[in-house]
Amino acid sequence: MKKEMIRLENLKKSFGELEVLKEVHLEVHESDVVVLIGASGSGKSTLLRCINFLEIKNGGKIFIEGEEVDPKTHNLNEVRQKVGMVFQHFNLFPHKTVLENVMEAPVRVKNQNKAEAQKEAQALLDKVGLADKANVYPAKLSGGQKQRVAIARALAMKPDIMLFDEPTSALDPELVGEVLATMKELAQEGMTMVVVTHEMGFAKEVADEVVYMHDGQIREKGKPDELFNHPKEERTKNFLSSIL
Amino acid sequence: MFDIAHILEVLIESYPLFMKGLWITLKLTIVSILIGTGIGLIFALFKISGIKILNWIANIYIALIRGTPLIVQIFIFYFGLAELGISAFWSAAFGLAMHNGAYIAEIFRGSIQSVDKGQTEAGRSLGMTYGLTMRRIILPQAFRRALPPLGNQFIIGLKDSSLASFIALSELFSIATTQGSRTFDEMTYLIIVGLYYLVLVLLFTLLVNLLEKKLSAGE
Repeated sequence: MKKEMIRLENLKKSFGELEVLKEVHLEVHESDVVVLIGASGSGKSTLLRCINFLEIKNGGKIFIEGEEVDPKTHNLNEVRQKVGMVFQHFNLFPHKTVLENVMEAPVRVKNQNKAEAQKEAQALLDKVGLADKANVYPAKLSGGQKQRVAIARALAMKPDIMLFDEPTSALDPELVGEVLATMKELAQEGMTMVVVTHEMGFAKEVADEVVYMHDGQIREKGKPDELFNHPKEERTKNFLSSIL
Repeated sequence: MFDIAHILEVLIESYPLFMKGLWITLKLTIVSILIGTGIGLIFALFKISGIKILNWIANIYIALIRGTPLIVQIFIFYFGLAELGISAFWSAAFGLAMHNGAYIAEIFRGSIQSVDKGQTEAGRSLGMTYGLTMRRIILPQAFRRALPPLGNQFIIGLKDSSLASFIALSELFSIATTQGSRTFDEMTYLIIVGLYYLVLVLLFTLLVNLLEKKLSAGE
């Protein structure tokens, strides 16, 4: 049995009157790639944001690497160091160069020595194919390049889990491939990943489990082959036929 | 009335006197702007803190300052602080700093709030604390955006420092009025002091523009 990395029990989240997550249960094990799919407004992004506490749950329990994390008593900054996040709109720091973006957190949060952090940042940029862009400002990069820098920036904290919130939705179609390739490589290296995406090709090829969300609940989950080819629920079928 | 030769003559003649006043005006402006910027930043952070009592403190401070004339504030500081043995210069400096601080607080609040929320989320998601995210990620971007309105406020601060003449501080304007009434040549001295302020403001504008260029890395 692989190590449990994330467990959500009965997770609930509301924004005012609006219930966005209703009793969600989910387990993610080490090296698993879990892809969340569903229509917009189904709660996928909120679910992801609850896992690293950018949104604070209203009910239920969140376990990270076997330990329950209570936002009231836990140091969330420490938890977040273990859980990297990649955003739809990259959110690179525009006033810092690519290299500085990647080095910022290791140096400031982990107090890593600058020379060492720079070496590691360079290696990460090399890994995502952007070694030559180290001293460029984000404004000079394409969307695909920005997102790969954002991935390198998250990896610089050496997280155990990576969350991807629609990482290719803001990209021009011709730039989607390079980001997915980087993510695929990461998956093959054994990173535990939870990915919200509309890229069904990626889900089919890379996911260990595909989770279909509707109206704040997980309606169906399974291996990509099962869920895409033999969905059990009518809703899942409708959703899949609407996007494929 | 506008005898240019005469104005030039007086300008050259009065130059050493005005230089003394200029020095005091500059000191007063720089000190009050520096302290005012510090005050402004603190109250801006109070306003965005989401902590009710800090919000209240900032709101009351800003309402009091914006709701009363600067000249009243300067006199209150002057008479209030004189009792504590604080000089006219420093009471004027504090008065102007408190005044500028209220406006600068609003400038900073606006520019901090204009930075995309995603920047904070990116910082926090990397494990950075609120304070660290603010200091390393948000404030540098906010400060860059605040520069044009801040420069404007600095220019207002420079010109407002002339009100310190009312508490017997021999800055530029007070030299113009005393010289003017001494020589019965008020208009000439008023034109001259106007020129001094104009040149100062133009130099200041140039400085702010240079700083803006320097800070626009990455855009």
